[in-house]
Amino acid sequence: MSSTLGTQDLSAGLASDEPRGGSSWLGYALRKAGAALISLVMVVLLGFFAFRILPGDPVRSLAAGRQVSEQQMDILREQLGFNDPLLVQFWGYLTGLLRGDLGYSYTYNEPVLDLIGTRLGPTLLLTGTAALLSVILGLWLGQKAAWRRGSLFDKAQTGLALVFWSVPTFWLGLILLLTFAGGLQWFPTGGLLTAGTTATGFPLIWDAARHMVLPVVTMVAVVYAQYLMVMRASLLEEMTSDYLLTARAKGLTEDEVRRRHAVPNALLPTVTLIFLTLGGLVGGAVTVETVFSWPGLGYLTFQALSAPDYPLLQGTFVVFSSIVILMNFFADLIYRVLDPRLRSA
Amino acid sequence: MAHSLPDPTGTPGTSTWGRHARLRRAVSALAALSLALVPGSLASSAATAAEEPDPVTLKLALTGDIDSLNPFIAILASSTNILTMQYEGLVSYSAENNEVVPGLAESWETSEDGTEWTFTFAEDRKWSDGEPITANDAAFTFRAIEESDALKQANGSLLESIKSVEATDDQTLVITLNEPQAPNPGSSLAIVPEHIWSEVEDPATFANDKDAVGSGPFTVVDYSATSGVTMKANPNYWRGKAKVDGVTFVPYRNSDAAVQALRTGELDVVGGLTPAQFKALENEPNITTNAGAGRRYQAINLNSGTVNSEGNIMGDGNPALQDVELRKAIIRAIDSNTLLERVLEGLGQPATGEIPAVYPLYHWDTDELPYSYDPEAANKILDDAGYEMGADGLRTDKEGNPLRLRLAGNNTQATHQQMADYITPWLREIGIEVVSESMAPAQLNDDSTLGNYDMYFTGWGIGPDPDFQLSINQCSSRPNADGTGAISESNWCSPEFDALYKEQHTELDQERRSELVVEAQKLIYDGAVNNVLFYSDSLEAYRSDRFEPFTTQPTEGGVILGQNGPWGVYSATPVSSVETASVAAPNPTAVIAPIAGVLVVGGIAAFFLVKRRRATADDRQ
Repeated sequence: MSSTLGTQDLSAGLASDEPRGGSSWLGYALRKAGAALISLVMVVLLGFFAFRILPGDPVRSLAAGRQVSEQQMDILREQLGFNDPLLVQFWGYLTGLLRGDLGYSYTYNEPVLDLIGTRLGPTLLLTGTAALLSVILGLWLGQKAAWRRGSLFDKAQTGLALVFWSVPTFWLGLILLLTFAGGLQWFPTGGLLTAGTTATGFPLIWDAARHMVLPVVTMVAVVYAQYLMVMRASLLEEMTSDYLLTARAKGLTEDEVRRRHAVPNALLPTVTLIFLTLGGLVGGAVTVETVFSWPGLGYLTFQALSAPDYPLLQGTFVVFSSIVILMNFFADLIYRVLDPRLRSA
Repeated sequence: MAHSLPDPTGTPGTSTWGRHARLRRAVSALAALSLALVPGSLASSAATAAEEPDPVTLKLALTGDIDSLNPFIAILASSTNILTMQYEGLVSYSAENNEVVPGLAESWETSEDGTEWTFTFAEDRKWSDGEPITANDAAFTFRAIEESDALKQANGSLLESIKSVEATDDQTLVITLNEPQAPNPGSSLAIVPEHIWSEVEDPATFANDKDAVGSGPFTVVDYSATSGVTMKANPNYWRGKAKVDGVTFVPYRNSDAAVQALRTGELDVVGGLTPAQFKALENEPNITTNAGAGRRYQAINLNSGTVNSEGNIMGDGNPALQDVELRKAIIRAIDSNTLLERVLEGLGQPATGEIPAVYPLYHWDTDELPYSYDPEAANKILDDAGYEMGADGLRTDKEGNPLRLRLAGNNTQATHQQMADYITPWLREIGIEVVSESMAPAQLNDDSTLGNYDMYFTGWGIGPDPDFQLSINQCSSRPNADGTGAISESNWCSPEFDALYKEQHTELDQERRSELVVEAQKLIYDGAVNNVLFYSDSLEAYRSDRFEPFTTQPTEGGVILGQNGPWGVYSATPVSSVETASVAAPNPTAVIAPIAGVLVVGGIAAFFLVKRRRATADDRQ
């Protein structure tokens, strides 16, 4: 019975389900939201204590190699609150968070929220574009490969994807940089915009687009393999299902069977994967951002770790974790919307 | 092939047709995109060439972070380098040899007891906005730091010796010190304009990153994390307006990318190169490399028994290292010249004491170092001191334990591991086993402060006045038991050194002071706690087709970037426009690039077409 539940019936199914299943859907969403909230609280607690065990006295690190007197270091310790007991510092952190205040970065002399704010945009732009392209490319190639499994195309595509997947991101980025920016000079060597640019409107967008090409290509190359592989596996599984035989028996062309019956069903498992990996992508941008001097969160986090700049670390940790938790939450919700089996369960 | 093509008269709604159209649209969009992208770079370079009267900007790589452009709180090197171009001190350091020369003050004199310094300001100096520069600006700056702890972050230590600062009139500033001192009290502090900063509500949080007013050759117009720092030439700079209209600092997180950017002309000057990058750029056309004498020493620190400020031993250093003979033997077994040749590819200078050769006033200039490389002598020292050699070729300490020492390095410095790879067999030769460890900078900083090490790689950048560097070798500089308190270079303590330090600190006669500073370095050397290996060169490269010449510091064999002063960037001179125009002439890549682009796109299109045919064939089975 379930095998005949193609996705072409999905919208109809949803509509007929809603009056009856509405409250249970809400309950499900609330349960998932609750779980996400608990994770978030854990992150907030962990964010404070986990970084306190990092080696290195931040004040000494700030002073490293500089002409700093003992009195100056004492003043810094006092100003940064390191002379307060840990619990007092923790209370300050919690009350700050409730007011939406992530603290003050002492390496950048700026509120953490502002620092993250200016860098979140570029990171989301980079990872968002890369994610979108990877998903499209991965899913498209994946279903192609599965449908013609064992063919030269299948072998070439999966092989190529796995090679990119295993290549170190830093290395691939550098190779692209050396070839297409340094050698051929098609694209800029780094940054989001040409430094000191006064361009506005379309030239500005054009400038950003040219700067985006190499980092996006690097990220896509490294990431799309996982979508390809999951889509391929998922479709292979669907291909043995009886309903495809039914579809073929109805006289549909092979192409239509694939596009209208098999692929939509095979997409289900990939949805969760996509949302799960989106969160990770933001964190995974660290390397690409470093290679291409991208003004994003990745490099900021790296700097915060080497300082160590506790407020900034806490801030980026909370932001990164929230993105992952949020994406998980969405994955749960969407999966339930898409997969009727989960609703009846 | 014909049968696989869609029938134009057929129903457009069929899947095959739809897919064909989508595919074709995708391919043509791809083609359009890559074609558009390729000439884009050409169009933009052509545009810059056409708009010749555009302001001439020197583009530098900003490889470090900007913590702040507020001179009271900025401490990171990138920020302070930029601020050096915006603000001048009462006195400056000369490009020739780092000697103290006039800055905002055109002259100064010291009272006989050395406690009162009087600075005279020139009458016609102006801030970049046209307001006059007076002694009141300096008094205001000193007072601001004095009165607010928050403003002490960057330069608080400079004021500890100061009793009072007073502007007796517009042209005269009197600084009274607690005790006599040789270092000029007006050398390091950036003087800010009172008429701007007195209006600022909270100077400690003032970003100062937009349309700043300064006294140096360039002032900051704008700063953003995404597009870097833009500076423009100060028309009122007292040494004369710079020959370029501005300077742009372009953020580069990765030095390999910066090197490529120098090649493509996105940058004009790049510093902080690795020896490999430097060598690779040496033969590039239009690029000139500069290996400038560095002001940093590289050393191996030996844990002579870390003692805290209360006189108790702290840390887990090997007690055997408390024996100065063992430390001397180790130093004699390390061939620093080989390290310089192999690890740095010769791009550095052999070292003596801690003050590098770029500071001839204080450098210990000698060829005969008592503990220079000599493994035989090292073995003899150890034999004489009673470290017995076992059958396994390893010596034992006086308690009979095998001599086994850790050597810690910073995991962000590739050279540390490379040097450790040389040092381990060298010390094995004299019967000492070395275990090298690589750790995060913060961890190394912590461990070295608390004495949790046997040996570790260290180094300091030295300022033009050696006072601070010597001061951190005093007994009183040793930290408290919990690691707080003062900073010590080697946790070393010698009353003899302390006396010498105090003497040079108050010695106003330059010649005598220089002698005392050299004596102090010899004492540190004899203590065998800080084995200075070499002074690495500062490796830089610039576009000589666009800018030349640059004033280096020191003028003979010095650096362009990271100077004690703004000379390098200030001296940038655009190459005459005739020659510059030749840069815009088509280069081979400009021709090859579009062709390659077309080939790539063509290849992709062909691939899809071939695939299409096979796919339709499959579908029809």
